[in-house]
Amino acid sequence: MKSVRILIFAVGLLCSIQQSHAQAINWNALGDSKHIVHAGVAWDYSVSYGVGYGYQVDTKMPLVLNANFSIPPGEKAFDDFKTRLGGQLLLLNKPNLKGSIALNGIYRRYENPLASLRNFGGEMKGALGYYQSKWFVAGEIGFDKAIATHFKHSESFKENIYSDVKDGWSASATGGNFLYGLQTGYSFKKYDVTFSIGNVTTQDFKATPLIPYYLTLGFNYKIL
Amino acid sequence: MNKSLLPALLTMAGVWFTSCEKAVDIHEPGSLVPKTVVDDPDLPSISVNGTSLHAETFGNPADPMVVFLHGGPGADYHNGLNAGQLAGNGFYVVFYDQRGTGLSERHSKKLYSIQLYMDDLAAVIQHYRTSPTQKVFLFGHSWGAMLAAAYINLYPDRIDGAIFAEAGGFTKQLLDEYAETSRRINLFAEGTSDVLYYDQFLTGRENEHEILDYKMAIASSFQYADGNSEGVEGPSPFWRNGAVVLQAFIDISEDQGFDFTTNLDQYQTRVLFIYGENNKSYGLRFAQKEAAFFPATDIVQIDDTGHEMIYFKWNLVQPVILDYLNSLN
Repeated sequence: MKSVRILIFAVGLLCSIQQSHAQAINWNALGDSKHIVHAGVAWDYSVSYGVGYGYQVDTKMPLVLNANFSIPPGEKAFDDFKTRLGGQLLLLNKPNLKGSIALNGIYRRYENPLASLRNFGGEMKGALGYYQSKWFVAGEIGFDKAIATHFKHSESFKENIYSDVKDGWSASATGGNFLYGLQTGYSFKKYDVTFSIGNVTTQDFKATPLIPYYLTLGFNYKIL
Repeated sequence: MNKSLLPALLTMAGVWFTSCEKAVDIHEPGSLVPKTVVDDPDLPSISVNGTSLHAETFGNPADPMVVFLHGGPGADYHNGLNAGQLAGNGFYVVFYDQRGTGLSERHSKKLYSIQLYMDDLAAVIQHYRTSPTQKVFLFGHSWGAMLAAAYINLYPDRIDGAIFAEAGGFTKQLLDEYAETSRRINLFAEGTSDVLYYDQFLTGRENEHEILDYKMAIASSFQYADGNSEGVEGPSPFWRNGAVVLQAFIDISEDQGFDFTTNLDQYQTRVLFIYGENNKSYGLRFAQKEAAFFPATDIVQIDDTGHEMIYFKWNLVQPVILDYLNSLN
């Protein structure tokens, strides 16, 4: 049993997680801050380090536009990465009860000795929770869709596995994962420390990624 | 946004997506993984026990039979083809891709069981055996060696000798022990990211074999990543993995456990264990543990190689195997 052990051992070892470096926001501590700088570490299908920037638009309904960039660890720094561009809109805005929706476009890349994949995707996530000025807790649910993927196979793949493998863009979507979990955070001065945790399942609800969890530890710095 | 900018961007995106390369239909057999015997009638195959197996033979059908059992679960016999050279030394060598993997027919995950694999092996032997007195030897690598033990455990009188090349564990306990040392994960290593990060690019439903098998193929680079404990030198060829059968046997192992050793002490024929010098997870110690279930054994180290010794060091493996087989022939 070869690959078997990758799965069993990894799951047992980690109890780990996947979730992108979306900026969890304490809407009751955001105030008039215009700029939000974010850094975090996550289990985002693998260990992942991320940085981001958010800009609060001056609208009647609170809206934060954001951009994020994350990479997993490894000897090759930028062979795998994910960029996200989108925004979060506060749809339900009671004093302590908040409901938001986040929409992000995704461009991500993966490479190993056998193949490189480039993907355009989209992510939608909703959060509903209780917010105070110092802390918050919310439930969240989301969907990450891999819309179009480009396949490029290495010579090693063609020599050792399948010489007639096709390179090119996929004719249809190549994947999708649902996530659901909790996010919480503590706010002080100009800072938020946020934490998210939850499960990931594939779009047919019958299978999971190799590690079917997500986890994010984030840090926000807000500037007027 | 400038009104003229949006159509221009959409046009550029369209050109980018559609130019140069034909779109890849990821569900179509033959796009990302080779077709199986069901889709490609030109492949050598046999129909036994309610399935179609990719299979071929080398040598004179009247010679003593050596059935090669490949690793996995979910690998295939491509990187074991060196064993076909035994045909030049008076043996009839039989290769087959186990049910649900390689180029053999795919089935639903619910179908699989250890007994089914035993029945498949019995049917393969019956299919190729040319006389009741023809000797039958099993040559198993990794998971295939576990299957060989399971078969002898069930039918000790049907097999005239066996070669075990680094069986992953004849019991669930031994498998876990081997897994613990051979699959230690460094979360921050490139090889680990290589097998985890792509889950966001590709997701296959439970029985979407083309996608799941392709994902498993991509993950195979983990086995020969720098510093791997099994001493695997580099990539070795395979046709197509069987991801569903792998998951099925993981579930069986976890849910039911297994013990292929309960009758091995009744098997009086001498058996051969070989292991690669560079496999830090196996070694003489593990070989001795597995050999201890049999009354009569030889244990031989293959120098300067690891778990894939049959592919990378066949020149050293072959004489050891021939000595053993000829001693029983």
